[in-house]
Formats: sequence, structure tokens, C-alpha cells
Amino acid sequence: MEEKDQLGRRNFLAIAIGAIGAVIGVVIAIPAVAYVVGPALKRKTSEDWVRLGPTSKVELGTPTLFKTTIERQTGWIVTEEELSIYILTEDGRDYIALSNICTHLGCRVRWITDQGQYFCPCHNAAFDKIGLVVSGPPPRPLDRYETKVEDDQLYILLGG
Amino acid sequence: MSVHIGDWLDERIGWRNVWEAIFLRKIPKVNWFYTLGSATLFVAVLQGITGILLTIYYVPTPDHAYDSVVFITTQVPGGWFIRGVHHWGASAMVILAVLHMVRVIMSGSYKYPREVTWFTGVGLLLAVMGFGFTGYLLPWDQKAYWATIVGTRIAGVAPLIGDPILRIMRGGEELSAVTLARFFGAHIWVLPATLLLFLGFHMYLVIRLGISAVPRKEE
Ligand code: FES
Repeated sequence: MEEKDQLGRRNFLAIAIGAIGAVIGVVIAIPAVAYVVGPALKRKTSEDWVRLGPTSKVELGTPTLFKTTIERQTGWIVTEEELSIYILTEDGRDYIALSNICTHLGCRVRWITDQGQYFCPCHNAAFDKIGLVVSGPPPRPLDRYETKVEDDQLYILLGG
Repeated sequence: MSVHIGDWLDERIGWRNVWEAIFLRKIPKVNWFYTLGSATLFVAVLQGITGILLTIYYVPTPDHAYDSVVFITTQVPGGWFIRGVHHWGASAMVILAVLHMVRVIMSGSYKYPREVTWFTGVGLLLAVMGFGFTGYLLPWDQKAYWATIVGTRIAGVAPLIGDPILRIMRGGEELSAVTLARFFGAHIWVLPATLLLFLGFHMYLVIRLGISAVPRKEE
């Protein structure tokens, strides 16, 4: 009888200690997981119209390269980043803004005038004038930005 | 099923002996003051976990240290909690370690055959102090900066060896990027290694010798 009581008490304590330990573990583990993966889940939410320059700079029928710097906040560091955007217009009214970042693995593509194609040096990809894949490994056309024209100035929409 | 796995493992690695030696060992009838050592160990483990997590974002250079700490507390989910636990845990470590030491003194537990346990405990207390001192600088705010100016100067007033000690601590004449980097290195590598060494020895002795009983009145 005595022995049995002892065992009961022992088991109870073991379970109680285990339970308290589990609670403490969870209280630490949940914030810890959020802490580690948190910044990875953060998405950019702000959208911004960025001015590229006057529309008069865009040549009709050939992609024209525009450069702009944007401020980017990564962690606690604000960095300036240079963006290169190819602008194409056939009629001076509708504009296509293409990112120069290859959709394969992120190298920078270049417009080759002689061939009338964008070329990515990393794995020999070619895109046509409006960014569609002609050859090579990229899985989708070059990314496009929304554009607008205000007072003869060209704007693209970043983020969002 | 779990019994099965337990047996399987026990046959190969003998964990039950270890488990028994650590958790099911015989202890004399003692009071709650005898749990202060375990409490210190518990907080030490917490400090280890939260400290490792903090290094994921913290950067020990003067141009980033403060900003990265602010980033942890304000931007990272749960960051305020992790840092808060580490911050308050640091104070708890010192308090618990000292209380544990007082208990050991009051119950005379440092006497034969536990003198070496006491020595390793002194080493542990020094390591804890070192943690507190080096960790205090890492946020690199005004309080941290001036506290370390003062702290290193205190070491500097020691006769003869004071000045070299001050220079070694600061890594030069001034408190600088060098100081911050070496305090960080000490805080996350040197001191944890020291602590683990002493702690391993300390725990080994506690288990080997068993803990002392509460002294009786007539002694
Ligand atoms: S990155 Fe452009 S083709 Fe691979």
C-alpha cells in the first residue's frame, strides 16, 4: 500500500514536471520560430510611382535604357539601389517598361541593337523586343512595370 | 512503442544509467534553498538559447550594433521577447548564482569532500560576471558605452598591471570598434566555452559526491 502511494506520487510529480517543462518550452519556442522566420515573411506593401525622365528621351521603336536609384530598407540598413529599365514605345503613347533582370536566375539582360534582341550573358538567353523568351532557359518573359505619363514625364510603378 | 524505442536505444547507448545518475539519484531531505543551483542552471540554458537567437540579427560593429538591436526589438516578430528574456535573465543569473553561493556558505556545503565543487563554482561566478560585463556593452547605446568606459577604468586603477589590463580590455587606448568586437567575441565564444567547462565539472562533482544534507542543530 505504502509502496503504491509512493509510486503514485512519483508519477504525479514526473507528469507535473513534464507538463511545466512543456509549457515553458512552448512559451520559448513559439516566439523563437516567429523571430527566426519573421523577416522572411515580410512582404513589401508600399507602392510608389518613380519618375524615370522625359518621354522625349524614348526613341520610337527601340528599347531605351533608363536608370534610376531607389532607396531600399533591408533590415536596419537603407541602401540605394540602381534600377535599369528598358522603355519601349511604338507610337509615343503606349509605353512598355521592362525590367532588365533576367527571369531565369537574375542576371542583367542587355539590348543588342544589331540582333534586335535582349541577351542574357549568364546562360545565353534571348528575349524579343517586348520581352518574350526567344531562346534559353528563362521560364517567363521579362517582368513589366506599370507606366504612366504626366507632364511629359515617364513614371513606373514600383513595389506592390 | 516508446518503451520499445527506449529499450532499443538503452541497449546501444545506455541512456537509462545516465538518466538515473542525473535525475533519479538519491538526495537527502533538503529544503527549497537547495534548488537555487538548478534555478541558475535553468536560467543559464535560457540565456544560451536567447543569446544564440540574438546573434541571428545582432551585428557587433559601431555603425550597426545599435541599429540592429533596435531592429530586433521593434521589427522582428518576438524580438522584444527574446531580447527581454536575455536582458532580465542576465540579472537573474547574477542574483541566482550569488544566492546559490550564499546557500552553500550557510549550509557549509563547501566543506570536505566538496571543496573542488566550490572552486569550480567560483569559476562559474566569475564567468557569469564576465558575461554581464561584456554583454552590457553590446547594445552600444550611451549607457553601455559609458558603463564600459567606467568599468574598464576601474580595472585600470589596479597598481602596476592596471594600465595593461585596461588596454587589453579595450584593445587599445580608447573604447572603439575593437573593444566592441572583442567584447562580443568574449561574450559569445570565450565565456560560453569557459562556462561549459566549469559547468561540466561542477555538475559531474555534484552527481559524483551527491549534495550535502541540511546541517543539524547541535553541530
Ligand atoms: S540568368 Fe539569364 S539566362 Fe540564366
